Amino acid sequence: MSKQTAFVFGYNQYAFEILENLKDKYTNIKLYSQEEDNLTSSNYEVSLFDLSDDWSSIEENISNKDSIAFCTLEDDAQNIFLTISLRAYFDDLKIIAIASNKENANKLTMAGANKVIPIVESTADIITNILELPISNTVLHSILFEENDLKIAQIVLGKNSSLLGEKIVNVEWESYKGINVLALMNENMSHDFIYALNLKQHTLSENDTLIVVGYEKDIQGFKKLIGSEV
Amino acid sequence: MLKKLIVDGAYFLQTSKRYQSSKEFFYKLLENDKYRYKKYVDILMVTLIFISVGVLIREVKYPVNDYLLFFSTYIISFIFFIEYILRLWVSSSMSEIIVNRAEHDSFLSRDISLWKAFYKIAQVKIKYILSVRAIIDLLAILPFFHELRLLRLFILFRVFKLFRYARSFQTLAGVLASKKFEFLTLGMFAGIVIFVSSVLIYVMEANNPSSPINTLFEAVYWSIVTISTVGYGDVTPVTEEGRLVAMIVIVAGIAVLAFTTSLVVSAFTERLNEIREVKTIEDISKLKNFYLVCGYESVAREVCKKLSKKKKKIIILDDDLERVERAKSDGFVALNYSPGEIDSYKKLNIDISSQVKAILCLREDDVENVYTALTVRALDSEVFLLSLLMSDSNHKKLKFAGINKLVYPQELVGMMTKELVGKPVAFEVIHQLRSENNSVYIDEIAVTQRIVENFSCIKDLGNKEFRVIVLGLYKSTTDEFLFKPEGDTKLEVGDYILAIGYTMFIKEFEFHLHAKVLNV
Repeated sequence: MSKQTAFVFGYNQYAFEILENLKDKYTNIKLYSQEEDNLTSSNYEVSLFDLSDDWSSIEENISNKDSIAFCTLEDDAQNIFLTISLRAYFDDLKIIAIASNKENANKLTMAGANKVIPIVESTADIITNILELPISNTVLHSILFEENDLKIAQIVLGKNSSLLGEKIVNVEWESYKGINVLALMNENMSHDFIYALNLKQHTLSENDTLIVVGYEKDIQGFKKLIGSEV
Repeated sequence: MLKKLIVDGAYFLQTSKRYQSSKEFFYKLLENDKYRYKKYVDILMVTLIFISVGVLIREVKYPVNDYLLFFSTYIISFIFFIEYILRLWVSSSMSEIIVNRAEHDSFLSRDISLWKAFYKIAQVKIKYILSVRAIIDLLAILPFFHELRLLRLFILFRVFKLFRYARSFQTLAGVLASKKFEFLTLGMFAGIVIFVSSVLIYVMEANNPSSPINTLFEAVYWSIVTISTVGYGDVTPVTEEGRLVAMIVIVAGIAVLAFTTSLVVSAFTERLNEIREVKTIEDISKLKNFYLVCGYESVAREVCKKLSKKKKKIIILDDDLERVERAKSDGFVALNYSPGEIDSYKKLNIDISSQVKAILCLREDDVENVYTALTVRALDSEVFLLSLLMSDSNHKKLKFAGINKLVYPQELVGMMTKELVGKPVAFEVIHQLRSENNSVYIDEIAVTQRIVENFSCIKDLGNKEFRVIVLGLYKSTTDEFLFKPEGDTKLEVGDYILAIGYTMFIKEFEFHLHAKVLNV
């Protein structure tokens, strides 16, 4: 499903990797650089931006909530300033920012970023997993990035779902063939492990989302079985 | 004829594997601190020393059991004698000297001069015999001649042997030796003051009938007691002139004491880092299964924190002193050695194949990481090498350098954003399972013989009771991952169960898998 416009701020390897990964998800991707030299020397279509801009030039492209901005400036202070500037101008814009560490990640969240990727911590997590949990790392990686047939899916319980009204504790999750139900996201958008104590007495309702792992046909089979939609 | 016999004998010993390996064994047993059995010999020797001294003290006022006396006098002396001979034997190789001489003379088409070889042998052996350690060893054997009462006091020389076995004594001696010149100056100053003051006090006091100082010996005794600031007070000057000398000696004594204290303190301060480093290197050489982290920058710091949280052993090498200090202040073992130089590994005495679990090249600089990787590969072709990749253009170069796994943060961010945009909740769930900071995580449980004996197939595991999800089973025999395997899937030793659940419950589940036999 293609969405509207993605704005990528920053002219560096992080920005290019994001562009490569987003090109089939967004119909319109705009790359912004602070340096005038990058406008001509790049393989991408680059626009110029200035942290002191009033952002009116991009306002016309933001038509709805499907627009998204990526703040990838390598200078953390500038990246925070960029995030806070965008948030001040666009209330509904989804902002994803990168941060060099956790401290700056917190600042970016305070500045209004919806999601922050702390590069150092994420890289360290991956390295630690490669070393200490090599099998699970490979499996999770392949599930997340769909490197084999195993997939992770979000299944929204529809109004006709057979699970509506059931208490989580009473559902035999293990019995569903070929799928593992990992977590549940409720209407407040908070998610919990399916065996979390606070979910034990939760009654499944419409629009609750199940996070499941399995092969495509088993996920489809599970959807049919519970009468829900992805 | 005799010459030929000696040369042949030397060649035989030099080429005899049995002779050489026994000599090497005794050398390691007596001299190599890294040899695992040396500590037992050291403990035995120290015990024997204390038994000897204990017997000597007991003997002063009380009768000692004849067997114990025999043991202390003859058996212990005999053991020390054997030790002395063995040390003399392994200190140098006579056969090697003879062989070298024979080859040298043969090469120059000369008649083999055994006298020169014997002269050389005598030189090296006498050099060893006259070394302080060897003299102490020899004196420690003398109590064997028990009938000579004076020689019994030589038992105390056995105490000096402790220097050989206690490393801290050697360190202390080494530290003090570094200030040899200063101590010599101080000793000369103290000696002159003692000499002058002794003569002065003798001249002033010896003719006074009420003075306790009547001989030069008493004068020297008073002088030493005073200058050392001990001041027993049993011998004191009574004349005014004598007291004037006493005042000067007291002031000089304070100076000597202050100077000595400052010398010892400064010697230790100057060599503290060196002493610590020697100790660290010694500890590292005994370490097994540790991660060697090359470079301590932001990612390395975070990785070290995460690994140490899992109680993994980590050693950090970095050629930048500031980063090393930072690692130390973070509580890690870090050394200021360049990970890109073979010499560093030799100095640290690290045997990569037997000691290191994996080497992590975590400098945020591809050039440095390639350099380190090639150095490591020159030493060991098997060890698992992981490296950061900072620029995609260097991917091939790092792979070519022999790195097994590359982690490219930029690519990681790109992939993460893709998933974050596509399936935000699924992404969060997987990300949290991978993260250390969550109560729910994924673990790999190795299937052991005990688990197989307890549970033959997946359906018997009872994971639901522990609120644990079995995501799948990794079959090591076929190198395949079975996602949510059927209940009747057989467990085999070497398989891994991938379990998701709360940290505490997973641990309990793992315990349950191993403990069932006990409950039967």
